[in-house]
Amino acid sequence: MLQLLKIDLKKMTSYRTFWIICGLYFFLLVVGAASGMELLKWLASIIQGFGQAININRIPLYHFPDVWQNLTWAGGLIKIALAIMTVISITNEYTYRTIRQNIIDGMSRKEFLLSKVMMNVVLSLMSMVALFFIATITGLIYSLELDFPYGFTGIGFFPAYFLEVFAFLSFALMLGIFLQRSGLTIIILLSASVIELIIKAKVDNYFPEIIPYFPLESISNLVPMPFARYAFQEIRDVVTLSSILIATTWTLLFNYFSYLKLEKSDL
Amino acid sequence: METVLSIHGLTKDFGKLRAVNQLNLTVQRGQVFGMLGPNGSGKTTTLGMLMGVVNPSAGQYSWFGQPPTPQLRKKIGAVLEHPIFYPYLSGQKNLELMAMIKEAPTENISKVLDIVELSARKNDKYKTYSLGMKQRLAIASALLNDPIVLILDEPTNGLDPMGIAEIRDIIKKIAAADKTIILASHLLDEVQKVCSHFSVLRQGQLMHTGPVDEVGKGEELVEVVAFHDDLGILLQEFNGSATVKREQNHFVVMMKDGYHSNDLNRFLFDKGIVASHLLTKKKTLEKQFLEILADNTKSKV
Repeated sequence: MLQLLKIDLKKMTSYRTFWIICGLYFFLLVVGAASGMELLKWLASIIQGFGQAININRIPLYHFPDVWQNLTWAGGLIKIALAIMTVISITNEYTYRTIRQNIIDGMSRKEFLLSKVMMNVVLSLMSMVALFFIATITGLIYSLELDFPYGFTGIGFFPAYFLEVFAFLSFALMLGIFLQRSGLTIIILLSASVIELIIKAKVDNYFPEIIPYFPLESISNLVPMPFARYAFQEIRDVVTLSSILIATTWTLLFNYFSYLKLEKSDL
Repeated sequence: METVLSIHGLTKDFGKLRAVNQLNLTVQRGQVFGMLGPNGSGKTTTLGMLMGVVNPSAGQYSWFGQPPTPQLRKKIGAVLEHPIFYPYLSGQKNLELMAMIKEAPTENISKVLDIVELSARKNDKYKTYSLGMKQRLAIASALLNDPIVLILDEPTNGLDPMGIAEIRDIIKKIAAADKTIILASHLLDEVQKVCSHFSVLRQGQLMHTGPVDEVGKGEELVEVVAFHDDLGILLQEFNGSATVKREQNHFVVMMKDGYHSNDLNRFLFDKGIVASHLLTKKKTLEKQFLEILADNTKSKV
């Protein structure tokens, strides 16, 4: 397994596009996550009455334990950038036909897929760790008082965030394996949630109870949007077992479909 | 002799098209085995199946008497169609990656780069290489894991005459090191120069298989030049002539079975004619190849 990961790392670490996209992604993740207060100030400056109606300094955006869910939700917004890297990584193998040569050289199709999946695991783990550091640091800076273990409430959103990123990367990998062309795959990837949104809107009229089972919905459902709580609304501030189960099932299915497609195709 | 590869009833359908049809072949250890056939005759598809990238529709094959596994492929060096590498990696890095996949010792890398004389350019990106260098890197990669079998598919495709000669030398060098080589090509001359055995494929079917040495057997062709006005008529009179053809400045006599050029020489001498040029020609593989294809076309109709 580790050897398979090393093989994919070898392919990627000398590839400039990989560094550019990953650099941009982690930069966005860290800087974006840390500049929430700046965003609020900016909003207050352009929206009249925003600053008066609510005192922005009293919004506990970065306070323990709010910071965990706030940042994992925000981090989930930019996973698309990482997914594009996954798409490029797999579609390159088809464009250059190196997937064919890898098999000729003695990889099994399963090993080839595993090397890509392992890379997705690593990227998801790195996202989670980076976000955890930012959340801890900003939490320590902004929290008025440190009250543990209460401050750890909702820390379960980090494994959920990991699953969110990994599930989405698995989805991107599967699209890449089925479509094989980078441009097409990226377009489909970008429009997938819009397509799902349209279907969901239709389904909502008849069977609203099946909505949580939609693939992309189940992924974004892992960490629900938290900010409504600052407008005194009820939000779900825990990770639910059902959301984990549904998203895990989809993740396994995505990778299993990739496996079936790879096994069956002539390369 | 040890059987390296045996193929039984191997078949591949692409939709309605049958690319390879009921192929049976065996390759023995130490052979340089040429696979001949026009473009689209199923050579690359067959090799693709042998290397696990194309799933057969029917039939089996075995390497060294064992069913194929990815592990076994690591000990086979293969280049199918054109060289395939990561364009953004250097030659060196590409080979390092390949060594990881093949579980080959890394010290082999500099060895194989030396063999194909690419060491000077090893740190340049693959995409900057010329076609000849790409082909040479492909051969280097095939040699990377001290393979017991080498599969080369059109290794001289698109090369200039010098490049072709270089690759041919490399193949001969490798063959001398007791390796089994399977060489697919549509260049007959190339196969005749390096191969010990050959097979002919056409539209996915095996037309012929046998040693290259046997190609020359059968009727003899003799080129004759002599200063005599009626040489053509005289040659017709010779008992051993099957056919006589005039080609440019000489005559070509196809001998009947049992007659040889010395018989022809004696015949001319008895007639008081001294030949200034008498040359026995072996049938070329090209001729044989075209005959095999022509025979089978006839029998099909």
